Amino acid sequence: MIRKIMVWAGVVMLGACLCSAEVWKAPDQEKAKERAKELVPFVDAVKDDCKVLRRVCLLDKGIDIKDVETTYFHLESPIIKAREDHYGPVRFAHKRHAALIGDCTACHHYRPKDESMSETTRCSACHQEAFKADNPQRLGLKAAFHQQCMACHKQEAKGPVNCTGCHLKNVPDHKELVKLPDDADPFQVTAECRRCHDAQAEDMLTTAHWLWKGPSPFTVKHRKDIQHGKGTTALNNY
Amino acid sequence: MNINRRGFFKVMGAAGATAMTPAAGARAWESAAPPDAFGCLVDLTRCIGCRKCEEACNRVNGLPAPEISFDDPTVLDTRRRPHEKSYTVVNRYFPGTLDTHDQLVPTFVKLQCMHCQDPACASACIVGALTKKENGSVYYDVGKCIGCRYCMVACPFEIPAYEYHDPVTPRVMKCTFCFERISKENGLPGCAQICPVEAITFGRRDTVMALAKQRLKDNPGKYVNHIYGEKEVGGTSWIYISSEPFEDLGFPSLPDRPTPKLAETIQHGLFSYLWSPILLFGVLGGIMRRNEKKNVHGKDKEARHDA
Repeated sequence: MIRKIMVWAGVVMLGACLCSAEVWKAPDQEKAKERAKELVPFVDAVKDDCKVLRRVCLLDKGIDIKDVETTYFHLESPIIKAREDHYGPVRFAHKRHAALIGDCTACHHYRPKDESMSETTRCSACHQEAFKADNPQRLGLKAAFHQQCMACHKQEAKGPVNCTGCHLKNVPDHKELVKLPDDADPFQVTAECRRCHDAQAEDMLTTAHWLWKGPSPFTVKHRKDIQHGKGTTALNNY
Repeated sequence: MNINRRGFFKVMGAAGATAMTPAAGARAWESAAPPDAFGCLVDLTRCIGCRKCEEACNRVNGLPAPEISFDDPTVLDTRRRPHEKSYTVVNRYFPGTLDTHDQLVPTFVKLQCMHCQDPACASACIVGALTKKENGSVYYDVGKCIGCRYCMVACPFEIPAYEYHDPVTPRVMKCTFCFERISKENGLPGCAQICPVEAITFGRRDTVMALAKQRLKDNPGKYVNHIYGEKEVGGTSWIYISSEPFEDLGFPSLPDRPTPKLAETIQHGLFSYLWSPILLFGVLGGIMRRNEKKNVHGKDKEARHDA
């Protein structure tokens, strides 16, 4: 009986999926992607304020967290991609960082000399191509991101400081990498995967995915069970 | 021709003096550093030891894959030197500074060919396989190299390596300053392009030198007051600034005198206008003539005696 219901439920859900032609996309994600592609004119001259002056200036104008318009950014740019492309974008929770730090000047450290421009311009207005001959002291965008994020994460002993802590690595095209005969058996496939991902395979052998039992810190009411899983107490549902 | 001893020295002395006077004036050693060369400034306070420069160098130069992955930080536990399979290496030093948690602060040092303004390797090379190019790189031409490895002995930084494992077509291997890449418009060396924190700043040597001086001036107390490579061995295209003394970071203490200066001065001085061979063979000729005369006189005496 249960099996019959499950099969029918599966059929209905599959049908629902096929009917809805439009795939749902996270609106803020799409907005962030679009924003990351934008190129803005280069700001050559900045107002040379010290850190304290800068804070006072923002305080005077009453600019603080309530003025944060964009909650979420993708930290990437065509400027960076044109040179090197090994990692995916960093997904940066702008408003969350603003709320945690409570000081806009931690990142918005200078303002453009042109008074008509925004007090808190985006990073890529001042930081663009690296090693500009006429402006050698100005950091490029990539270095500005890394220096800003990593210095703060180190100083606060909070947040990742390694590459994959913030980025996902670009996945290389496996069509070229995987070498298998046409009628490969399961053992050959596993061996081929392990040719490069041997450490991951070894790691997997110690997890509940392989052992079917282990601690379950995230399973409600079973958080303290160290022998939990399909191999022991949990139902084997397939 | 009748010439006595005094006369001979007079003539030879005058000849020697005339040969040497213009030689000393025109052939004084001059630096052959290109005027508008590229350079790199390495700011050791910025380097985070990620070894991306090693990875990029390996990729852009088509070098063989390393034994241990570039992502493995344990490589930094041992001191390494550039070798025939890697043009650049990053080493970690603990000069003794402690952070706020009483942990030793590491300083990472990228090593590669310094691309000297007056390279000792190019001076030592007997076939001109190594040359200082207009864009600042010390370029190696494998087609000319005969494998004598004088460059390896001459280099004050001990950089050139040799493919000992290849008995048929061995090459001298060292950083190329990405010669082909930087010869193109807006081209960057692989390492400088990938560096995530701009620890390496690429530009004209004058520009990055001014930038280094500016950083020292703008951050009093942050850096040691020394730009390594500004004056060492007559200046190098790659220059370093650091918050730790350079001698604690494995940098050799070298004189400001360009390495080739002494040897080239002596060699070029000796052979300008061929004065030294002329003098040598002149003296030898004089001695021969004198001995011959003596013998003739001796024979005359003997002949008289016989008679």
